[in-house]
Amino acid sequence: MKNYIKPIILFIAFFPFVGCDDFVDVAVPYSQLTGNLVFEDANTANAAIADIYSKLRDTGMLTGSSLGSAACLGLYADELVYYGANNENSLFIYNNTLLGNTAAVSQLWNQSYHQIYCANAIIEGCERSQTLSTANKNQFIGEAVFIRALIHFYLTNLYGDVPYIDATNYETNRLLPRMPVATVSASIIADLNRAIALLPENYLSADRVRPNRSTAIALLARVYLYKGDWAEAANAASAVLNNPIYVWENNIDKTFLKECKATIWQFIPKVAGNNTDEGALFILKSGPPTFAGLRPELFQSFGSNDLRKTRWIASVTDGKTTWYHANKYKQKSNTGTSVEYSIIFRLAEQYLIRAEARARQGELIGAKEDLNVVRKTAGLSNTTAVTADAIVAAVIQERRFELFTESGHRFFDLKRNGALDSVLPTVKPGWNSTDVLWPIPEKELLANPNLVQNLGY
Amino acid sequence: MKNSSFYNTASALCYIILIGIILSSSPALAKKRLRPQLSERQQNQISGIITDGRAPLPGVTIAIKNQINYVVLSDFDGKYSLLAKANDTLVVSYIGYKTAIIPINYRKNIHIQLQEDITSLQEVRINAGYYSVKEKERTGSIARITSKDIETQPVTNVLATMQGRMAGVDIVQDSGSPGGSFSIKIRGQNSLRADGNQPLYIIDGVPYSSETIGSTATSGTAPTMTSPLNSINPSDVESIEVLKDADATAIYGSRGANGVVLITTKKGKAGVTQFSVNSSSSFGTVTDTPKLMNTQQYLAMRKQAFANDGVTVYPSSAYDINGTWSPNRYTDWQDKLIGGTARIYNLQASVSGGSLRTQYLLSGNYRTETTVFPGDFKYSKGSAHFNMNHMSDDERFKMTFSGNYTSQNNNQPSVDLTPVSRILPPNAPELYDANGNLNWENGTWTNPLAGLESEFESRINDLVANVVLSYRFVPNLEFKSSFGFTDLDNNENRTQPFTMYDPSFGLDSKTSSITTNLTTRSSWIVEPQLNYTAGIGKGHFEVLLGSTLQNQRTERLYQFGSGFASNSLIHDLASATIKNIRLNDATVYKYAALFARLNYNWDTRYMLNLTGRRDGSSRFGPGKQFATFGAVGAAWLFSNEAFLKDSKVLSFGKLRASYGSTGNDQIGDYQFLDTYVSTGNNYQGIVGLQPARLFNPEFGWESNQKFEMALETGFFKDRIFLTTAYYSNRSSNQLVGMPLPGSTGFSTLYGNLDATVQNSGFELTLRTINLTQQLKWSTNFNISLNRNKLLSYPGLESSTYANTYVVGEPTSIMKVYHYTGMNLTTAVYEFEDMNRDGLITSLGDKQTLVNLTPSYFGGLENQLRYKGAQLDFLFQFVKQQAFAPQPGVPGVMQNQPESVNNPNAQQPYTAGKNGNVVTAYFRYATSDGAVEDASYIRLKNISLTYDLPLKFSKGLRCQLYWQGQNLLTFTNYSYGDPEFKMSNNYLPPLKVNAIGVKLSF
Repeated sequence: MKNYIKPIILFIAFFPFVGCDDFVDVAVPYSQLTGNLVFEDANTANAAIADIYSKLRDTGMLTGSSLGSAACLGLYADELVYYGANNENSLFIYNNTLLGNTAAVSQLWNQSYHQIYCANAIIEGCERSQTLSTANKNQFIGEAVFIRALIHFYLTNLYGDVPYIDATNYETNRLLPRMPVATVSASIIADLNRAIALLPENYLSADRVRPNRSTAIALLARVYLYKGDWAEAANAASAVLNNPIYVWENNIDKTFLKECKATIWQFIPKVAGNNTDEGALFILKSGPPTFAGLRPELFQSFGSNDLRKTRWIASVTDGKTTWYHANKYKQKSNTGTSVEYSIIFRLAEQYLIRAEARARQGELIGAKEDLNVVRKTAGLSNTTAVTADAIVAAVIQERRFELFTESGHRFFDLKRNGALDSVLPTVKPGWNSTDVLWPIPEKELLANPNLVQNLGY
Repeated sequence: MKNSSFYNTASALCYIILIGIILSSSPALAKKRLRPQLSERQQNQISGIITDGRAPLPGVTIAIKNQINYVVLSDFDGKYSLLAKANDTLVVSYIGYKTAIIPINYRKNIHIQLQEDITSLQEVRINAGYYSVKEKERTGSIARITSKDIETQPVTNVLATMQGRMAGVDIVQDSGSPGGSFSIKIRGQNSLRADGNQPLYIIDGVPYSSETIGSTATSGTAPTMTSPLNSINPSDVESIEVLKDADATAIYGSRGANGVVLITTKKGKAGVTQFSVNSSSSFGTVTDTPKLMNTQQYLAMRKQAFANDGVTVYPSSAYDINGTWSPNRYTDWQDKLIGGTARIYNLQASVSGGSLRTQYLLSGNYRTETTVFPGDFKYSKGSAHFNMNHMSDDERFKMTFSGNYTSQNNNQPSVDLTPVSRILPPNAPELYDANGNLNWENGTWTNPLAGLESEFESRINDLVANVVLSYRFVPNLEFKSSFGFTDLDNNENRTQPFTMYDPSFGLDSKTSSITTNLTTRSSWIVEPQLNYTAGIGKGHFEVLLGSTLQNQRTERLYQFGSGFASNSLIHDLASATIKNIRLNDATVYKYAALFARLNYNWDTRYMLNLTGRRDGSSRFGPGKQFATFGAVGAAWLFSNEAFLKDSKVLSFGKLRASYGSTGNDQIGDYQFLDTYVSTGNNYQGIVGLQPARLFNPEFGWESNQKFEMALETGFFKDRIFLTTAYYSNRSSNQLVGMPLPGSTGFSTLYGNLDATVQNSGFELTLRTINLTQQLKWSTNFNISLNRNKLLSYPGLESSTYANTYVVGEPTSIMKVYHYTGMNLTTAVYEFEDMNRDGLITSLGDKQTLVNLTPSYFGGLENQLRYKGAQLDFLFQFVKQQAFAPQPGVPGVMQNQPESVNNPNAQQPYTAGKNGNVVTAYFRYATSDGAVEDASYIRLKNISLTYDLPLKFSKGLRCQLYWQGQNLLTFTNYSYGDPEFKMSNNYLPPLKVNAIGVKLSF
């Protein structure tokens, strides 16, 4: 028997292992924090909201890269010409031949709703938190509510009726039907009013890279303008324009610098020394362009003494052909210290909103004053328009020159004024009147039986 | 609750084991005392030479009947000598030969000639993982290939060696790039998740995780990220067994649902020291490329397209036709970009030998492989394999050590030039200018070779080590413990130097960047086991009890750096002006189990096999971690019944059946936690946190019920051997990432789906030995048919899968438009308006079902031998459909297959302006009109080996061989290679010719 003793000892020594019931329990990995813990501390809650700004800057509707609204809607409308390779996304956008399964369509949709989810998670997390101070809660919830309104605003303008998502519960959200534009719009306004009540007037930092109360008001002005609520639009714009922290920039070369006091909200670049995605995308160093250039007709439609034609547009040539490009942002690459940030809201738009809203209400003098502020800086004389309709037309025209290649303004202006079908077919042979709305992504229709497709897709 | 029951089971097991020890020791001791001692006998010296009729056989085992402790081996010249009594009987055995039973009969010199045994396969012991079983006695479904089949193939991935050779095992090569991966499905797709169908891989008893170790940011050109399976060197593999049915897989419990692949590496053999060197060179080219338009045809198409669009002045960007590029140039881009020859060198050397008690094997392999792309790219792989077996003098203690170390270095372009080679206009400019620099033709094109400036590099080191210690307390009770360790590290990076771009952009090395991925994965496993065997009358019991503890830790570090002073510093992250850590995490997977097997064999006629396992996995949340799986298998060897025993026709007959359950836990780690993860994104100096996933703590095991019934019959001394099997597997409680609408914020949610998927099918294998004389000829044939079906799905209509699946149809269906032909008036493709709403919409009208999974597949293998020459060849066949790739609207600036040049069958060309044509074209791509037959028959492998007749130097064996892979393909598929259908984006498999020499002495 004693021969066995050694192996038996050896063998019994293993078995206590097996008794460990909690052997298969694992701890939370070090790169993750449990959801509740994030909102127990202002720093981690702040990191969660900072991440949404990174996402807004790099993906979705507001990014300056090739799949954001500036580039997509510039191509989709009549601002840009696509010169790039046979890339399904940009080419389909440019040719107005989008399909429900075009990657760009679902990418913009998914990224936007993901950003909305993150905002909702912050609202719910902060509301649940036992330890965050009221000031912190107001700040974070105010920002998150503002972001939610902003993204829904772009979604409804692009896709029409869309679900308004205001909670994280996927069981409810996965079956939400499309809501009428008016309902979405009402929710946006309610959210913006909540943000205005919660957000402080002062920026968290001098570089204006986090939204404050005026940013929410500036968006509210735009929402009312698109709705045609002229008085509210004018009031909201006035609230921003009357705020002394915003100073009109008379030098057209300084409008897009990061220190510009006419800027309401901008994105700080990812990496120190980097500049804007718009600059990297639009500025050409040589021709032909690998992505897109400014439509020559747009360049030619500027008045010859319009400073924006010479200061905000530049060109390259190969000796035979000349290509134009937006030159609002002048830095294409890293400059050691960043000089330009991506601007999302700026004062010029607020002047033009008020000008239009005033003209529509018959306040012609005030309307012309606002319009002339913008024209003067561009080196132009005062407007010669007299009638209300002429002033409105002049404002729309001015918006085209002032806001070109910025966040899809041109397309949305044509859309809200019902001008798409008269303007675009002459320059865009692929244009159909149903192209006014983008298709709902096909995958979305497959996954949510309560959604229906837009006409024409 | 479940935790405590697990503990109880564990304690119970301890008691059973202890009782087993006590019970089994006393009679065994008694037996020992009765055993006669060797020295009491009258011994004679017996000697002789063992041959196979032509040459002496070294290493043959010579034993004396009824004496287990005394065995000798023949030496290099086939000589043996041993001590035996004059009336003893010698038992002479050697693998591949019939065992000879020779009574000594008072002789002193006995020369023995062994007969080659081609039908002895029934006696071979098959590895079933925790136990082994004689081929004829097995109750489960196990497919097997051995080193003999593997050695004839010039391949680098172990999965490639199985292609076409195993019934029920569907293997597809994902890409022809060196280091590219293979996908495998054993008996169909059980899980609705494409990534949940991996089998469990076990190398020498150590589970080997096949989860990808790559990252999308750093992976190479293959469609899947870096797979660890490349680390296994096929020439070190002795056998591969694939366990398919419940009987074979249930002992692997939660991980057995998709089958188990057991890889056994080569072991040392007793006998004289054997050296072996095998060296080969191969040449690989792409198998097949579609025929594309030439310049004349292409430009005619383009002109017509603009004419159709009413464009008279060609746009400035239409460089191919507006005069910017010469209309007289012609380049066959497929030839230029993927038409090169990959050169492959392989060197394998081994030394093995040892005594009866201790054997060893040491082998090394070095292999390099270049690509078919232009440029200097190389995949090299070096490996070492060591095995040692030892047995104590009393044969009670046994020890086996196996270690495999592989180092791979893969340097590839980070773009696959295949797609661009198929769409570049044939009159596109020169690749190089007069000075030998990349030609950018004044910025009018993106030089495809610029993509080669961006390199992918991967260095993978992988160690798999395993020790098995066993001790036999008494002849029928053995304690065994297996210890395994794996350690894998992958250091991968992809560079994006500024030289990828047109120099006129004015970029410099400040924009060059590198992304790196450092992934390490290590695991250990301990599996103590107890084996008990007992015979009662004609019955024979085998009992196995064991437990598993496993821990696997994976660490990942993804980094990004950009802005270098010079491109030559690009691999030095410290030199980057911008450094960014994209991901840094560690995941732990823990696994514990108890398993058992009870096998009863009555008179080698009736066999019953019960297996079970209780599993706990850390991949599930509290309360969901444990589950029990089990199976019963039975076999009736009716040819051993008295009424058939003497049949002249039927030499073997067995009916077997099995039923049981297995599980699947391939869901990834930590998916049940509600957490925020760091994104690495910087905003105002704050690194962001984002929600990791939608939170669902409720998910548990996916379970899989398997049923199989099989008939194995051998005729005419097994010269015709036929196995037919029917199986039906049902997978329920599907563990899936359910697709959610993007409006929920995420596109998937992990959870269990209340749906049942059935895979049922037939498998047939036929082995015939056609000739056995001078010319030996044998044939193996296998064919598999699998039918996949969604059996039930309560609430499908209201689920997110409502438009993806149909109850009663396969889960691999796709809903597409029904193409009704081209409208002759408008010349636009038309589709059936299924819901009669007057519009063609994807949701309403994609109602036609197409199924792209193979309807059957198999292989036909022949082996011929004549004297020293041996010829093996394997035809692989697959019956399937595929979408013919639609490379783009004909008329836009990209080349088209020549077949497009047929105005009657095509829509009018358009350069993109004709929206109706464009829309119809893309609808056509997702319609049944684009589906075509992609069946193929392929000469997968051919090998011709010649043994040089070296009479002058005994012991030296020299074999010359030629091997070919994918040499011939017969298919109707119109767009290149049919193997990985649907995809014209990746390099097709290579056609490889290898010549080599193998020396052993």
